[in-house]
Amino acid sequence: MSEDRTILLIGSGPIQIGQAAEFDYSGAQACRALQEEGARVVLVNSNPATIMTDPETADRVYIEPITPEAIAEVIRLEEPDGVIAGLGGQTGLNVTAELAEQGILEEHDVDVMGTPLDTIYATEDRDLFRQRMENLGQPVPKSTTISLDDDESVTDFDEGALRERVQAAVDEVGGLPVIARTTYTLGGSGSGVVDDFEELVERVRKGLRLSRNAEVLITESISGWVELEYEVMRDADDSCIIICNMENIDPMGIHTGESTVVTPSQVIPDDGHQEMRDAALEVIRDLGIQGGCNIQFAWHDDGTPGGEYRVVEVNPRVSRSSALASKATGYPIARVTAKVALGKRLHEIDNEITGETTAAFEPAIDYVVTKVPRWPIDKFDDVDFELGTAMKSTGEAMSIGRTFEESLTKALRSSEYDPAVDFAEVSDGKLETEYLERPSPDRPYAMFEAFDRGYSVDDVVDLTDIHRWYVERFENVADATAAAAEGDFTAAAMAGRTNAEIAAVAGDGGTTADVGEVESTVPERTFKQVDTCAGEFEASTPYYYSARLPEFLAGADTAGAANEVRVDPDVESVVVVGGGPIRIGQGVEFDYCAVHAVRALRELGIDAHVVNNNPETVSTDYDTSDGLFFEPISAEEIADVIETTDADGVMVQFGGQTSVNVGEPLKEEIERRGLDCSVLGTSVEAMDLAEDRDRFNVLMDEIGVDQPEGGTATSREEALDLAHRIGYPVLVRPSYVLGGRAMRVVEDDEELERYIEEAVRVSPDKPILVDQFLADAVELDVDAVADGEDVLIGGVMEHVESAGVHSGDSACMIPPRSLGDATLERVREVTEDIARALDTVGLLNVQLAVTGVHDPDERAEVYVLEANPRSSRTVPFVSKATGVPIAKLAAKVMTDRSLADLDVDEQIPEHRSVKEVVLPFDRLPGSDPRLGPEMKSTGEVMGTARSFGKAYDKAQDATGKPIPDSGTAVVDLSAEEFPDPDTAEGEALVEGFSEHFQLSTATDLIEAARRGEIDLIVSRQRELLEVAVEEEITYFSTHASAKAALEAIDHADDDLDVMAVSDRPKRVENWGE
Amino acid sequence: MSDAYIALADGRVLEARTRAPGRTRGELVFTTAYTGYEESLTDPSYAEQVLTFSYPLIGNYGVRAERFESDSVQPRAAIAREMTDDVAEWLESEGVPAIDHLDTREIVTTVREEGAMACGIAAGEDATPEDAIEEMEACEPMSAHVDIGAGVSVSEPTVHEGGDEATIALLDCGAKGSIISSLTERGADVHVLPYDATPEDVAAVEPDVLFVSNGPGDPENFVAAQEVVDAYAGDLPMAGICLGQQVITSALGGSTEKMSFGHRGVNQPVKDLRTDKVVMTTQNHGYTVADTGPLEVTQVNVNDDTVEGLDSAELDVITRQYHPEANPGPHDSLGFFDEVLELAESRQPVAAD
Repeated sequence: MSEDRTILLIGSGPIQIGQAAEFDYSGAQACRALQEEGARVVLVNSNPATIMTDPETADRVYIEPITPEAIAEVIRLEEPDGVIAGLGGQTGLNVTAELAEQGILEEHDVDVMGTPLDTIYATEDRDLFRQRMENLGQPVPKSTTISLDDDESVTDFDEGALRERVQAAVDEVGGLPVIARTTYTLGGSGSGVVDDFEELVERVRKGLRLSRNAEVLITESISGWVELEYEVMRDADDSCIIICNMENIDPMGIHTGESTVVTPSQVIPDDGHQEMRDAALEVIRDLGIQGGCNIQFAWHDDGTPGGEYRVVEVNPRVSRSSALASKATGYPIARVTAKVALGKRLHEIDNEITGETTAAFEPAIDYVVTKVPRWPIDKFDDVDFELGTAMKSTGEAMSIGRTFEESLTKALRSSEYDPAVDFAEVSDGKLETEYLERPSPDRPYAMFEAFDRGYSVDDVVDLTDIHRWYVERFENVADATAAAAEGDFTAAAMAGRTNAEIAAVAGDGGTTADVGEVESTVPERTFKQVDTCAGEFEASTPYYYSARLPEFLAGADTAGAANEVRVDPDVESVVVVGGGPIRIGQGVEFDYCAVHAVRALRELGIDAHVVNNNPETVSTDYDTSDGLFFEPISAEEIADVIETTDADGVMVQFGGQTSVNVGEPLKEEIERRGLDCSVLGTSVEAMDLAEDRDRFNVLMDEIGVDQPEGGTATSREEALDLAHRIGYPVLVRPSYVLGGRAMRVVEDDEELERYIEEAVRVSPDKPILVDQFLADAVELDVDAVADGEDVLIGGVMEHVESAGVHSGDSACMIPPRSLGDATLERVREVTEDIARALDTVGLLNVQLAVTGVHDPDERAEVYVLEANPRSSRTVPFVSKATGVPIAKLAAKVMTDRSLADLDVDEQIPEHRSVKEVVLPFDRLPGSDPRLGPEMKSTGEVMGTARSFGKAYDKAQDATGKPIPDSGTAVVDLSAEEFPDPDTAEGEALVEGFSEHFQLSTATDLIEAARRGEIDLIVSRQRELLEVAVEEEITYFSTHASAKAALEAIDHADDDLDVMAVSDRPKRVENWGE
Repeated sequence: MSDAYIALADGRVLEARTRAPGRTRGELVFTTAYTGYEESLTDPSYAEQVLTFSYPLIGNYGVRAERFESDSVQPRAAIAREMTDDVAEWLESEGVPAIDHLDTREIVTTVREEGAMACGIAAGEDATPEDAIEEMEACEPMSAHVDIGAGVSVSEPTVHEGGDEATIALLDCGAKGSIISSLTERGADVHVLPYDATPEDVAAVEPDVLFVSNGPGDPENFVAAQEVVDAYAGDLPMAGICLGQQVITSALGGSTEKMSFGHRGVNQPVKDLRTDKVVMTTQNHGYTVADTGPLEVTQVNVNDDTVEGLDSAELDVITRQYHPEANPGPHDSLGFFDEVLELAESRQPVAAD
């Protein structure tokens, strides 16, 4: 039926808050499913860090901006028969809708497959949706508005009339409490739950005065209700199933992406569950959805057998929740959605997990799944991370356990989050108001703290509004931990703590116990299978989670219960450690690397097992590896996997800092257990050396590689001494950096002292690095693979931004354009020397600074800033731009293949590719929108063209912040970052922009920006840039980016240069030779 | 620490924690539903069985009588990975042994591989593994419980009034409350008759439809019910659910057989052969129809092709192997009861002659 059909699949673009790696997972899975059905798949996505944009994922891959223009070009080139809109998140949906509106789909005869566009419109328009639900007889939260007529004003409104209207509104929505929301005010101020009539009247009066359209919205308050989501699947024959439901621990009012979520629901009786299931099916049928869909409900116990519910929202597409549901149940929603879109029926699609059953099947699960979000709280001092209706988290971790306590504890461990607060210094009052009543990333930990202080379950229920059943189990976890401190370890083990954690708790409590002693007294962990059917059918898919055995089982005959892992011990196998939740500084790039390592191993006939806990990713797809272990990333839990699979090696290079950090403890744990398994590739010691600034300095001196002057300080005095010796400005940061956490350029003693006091609190075990700041340097990133002898350079990238901007936030280009041959030769030399000096086997990323590049014939000074013998965030970008799969090569050399054997060439692309970052400021009100030494970007895009200007222009388009080429601009060079307007450089900027733009003459720029009178801003004034973020005005906060923007504008009219990745020309040539 | 034991027919004795003390035995089965423990525990089809919940946490939303399917706990014992105090106290008050803190997935996969098996449970302060073994060894096969209907049926006819849409004679072989309420909600008067009612007893209520309910055990042991079906074949429209389907089929000349471990859960996919549409159903059966006799197969299980729906236009018979009345489980097939009422309508003109 689908033979010879060409299907266009549109991805979701860069990772950003609210749209993370889940669409890489669903897109990659859908590609495979479509190809299985014989379809030819054309894929478009702007995000190079994804697996879906790998040349082997689809028949044709385009890394192009997800804009109607670029996709129209792809449609012209590839002539697809159909497009599936529901797999690329909101971005994919929006662009498909635009293409339809512009008539492009019709013109080229492209069908929208799966869920129809009308359905999508029907769910996105609140009024239409409400109307539709009312027609179906489905309850939605009741709502009404209080408004003023044109001839009325609040001042001449008499009290009685106002009270009358308020009373009528309250009656209409079913009585107090209600939510009163003033519409169209900035920042959503004046929204809240009101249970007092007098207060409500006051709020309405104030709201009517403040609101721009003189309206106050009154909604039935369902805050405190349980929030649930149902994942539904429907085929064209109208067979419908529920894949699972998910219950938010945080009550209604907190975005489900921000909430701790549990599958299946725990507190809903069957009657209530079935009523919502019925509603979900009725809604999906009415909307005519084909494929996956997500429906949100609010529920509370009103005393009836089934309770009472409201339909809150419908998401007619694959989503973050569907990725979670897929991982939680083993039901591959994207795969089935893609096949349904091609016209398959659910019962015609195999259930790959059991191999016996079909997709017409509601998964049954026999474990508890918990998802915990991960917030970038450590990156944004100025942002209030109170959880609410808007998402602020960047990623999530999921865990599976046999009890809720086990599942929760594993999820919290997986999230790798450590509250910044020291609860010992928090008063009871503050604990209640700041940490329990107020939902924040710290709340789960505050609940444990409350129980440690003797709070009752009732107290905590009252303060948090969290359902009693959950609160009781938080208490169990707290009690178990307290017992461990007293020397009773079993309860803590059963509650999901690792033996190492228990030993540490016991140590704090004064009971000395080493891990071995704990291990010998508590029930062991074994692996159970995720099988979609709660054990009813035998499943063959190797998807596992660990759980402690029940405490009595040790004494009984446990044959068969011990372990469900089925591996062939005769086959060589390797465990690949993943990267955990996505966070700033550790994005989907590392999942890409982990997946490539797995694929490389499998190509060599080695079984690859993955340990990871991020439900959004391709690495945790059950058919990516030979064994998927959904586990927290700790030495102990990885060692369990090694032990049970009898793995010969383990790779910690690919999962970013998370996996690198576990290297050393893992090595110790392997030794402690006497396992015959080695950490593959570059030694743990070398990785450690590279991160130890002082030892690394010595090594660089030995091999004659220059570095900016600098050193490590373990006290305030040492830091000041160092700064004086080097001379200001200096770059300061903590020694173990993840995405440049708390990195800053400081100009004088005062700033340095403040940094030490506020940011890092330097101490002997928390040293800081103080380095010379190379002001006019060009920064480079080099990614290479070394096998112990030879070095293959994957690519040399030149940063667009200068040294003051974190490398992770800087746009960069490949190939570089400022380096002469002589300098590039030196870059190669330095990279090779470092690779050899660190005995690198595997990947190596080197960050360099080059000064004096003005004359291309001169050999410029090359300084090394950092060397990391592991995967870097630029690996996928390099691979996509050059066509050389360096992560795979690295995995192969780590299993003792030499580069010579692998017979690969370096390749230099003829076109220029620009990687640009995506910043989360619009999602994080209050954040500082200026680029600086602290990394803030969440994701990246890639733009490729013949010229740098066009490539940069395309990259900006892909970020969703296109550079306008006319209109009114502000060019404010007042900040030190910019050249003085009187200088030649300054003049060039002003003149450059004035050629295309009217320069704003407004006296109040902020006001002008708010009024929509400004189209582009070059400035570093924080307030102005904050307005630019709010009003979605394209801005540039650095000199380098402003110059690049000018170049882009000059090339704005160039051909769009849309081309499949594999068609882009490259030449076989070594970098710098 | 451990104060409870379960002895399995395969020779193993597993240790557990007592949640409700007592000694008992029965056929070890499992359900994969993760909600609806109150409904399952009061479902008479679980008589003489020991019910294992594959979902680990049971009792989370308490215990309320309005969610019960009959007025007592029906399985001989209950097993979960972890039970709440609510559900444990309820089971204790009903005198039904309950145990937790054991690896229920191990039990489920054992039953899956080896079939529903005899087990014995000993729970409480003085319980020993030997007690459990003794219980297990005394356990009889399901088909040996020849009078199993007596324990789950009404002893006297009772009437549930629903209206004058139809009069239904329900042979109570262990009927779930929701079957009766699904019929009364549609305006039928339901005369619930004991499992051993005679054709004369049925005639006495002048029914439009004869309905054979679900129930526990081997359908071949429901001899009286089969005789009633036989007596009215072709003269009275008939409907049946679960054991009811098996009893009707057997009485009409078909046959039944015991399954390895049966279907118990709320996610069994059933395909209607006429529409190709798949719905999710609640199931609880250890026997299935082998030979359909004069009946035509209308619905099958997507997983294993077992018979899920039978029909005979000639004999005016419709039956379901699954539980359209849900509770627990999906409401996808509640329409079955409308079809039952339509059967009654087709009957009425005849009655008027």
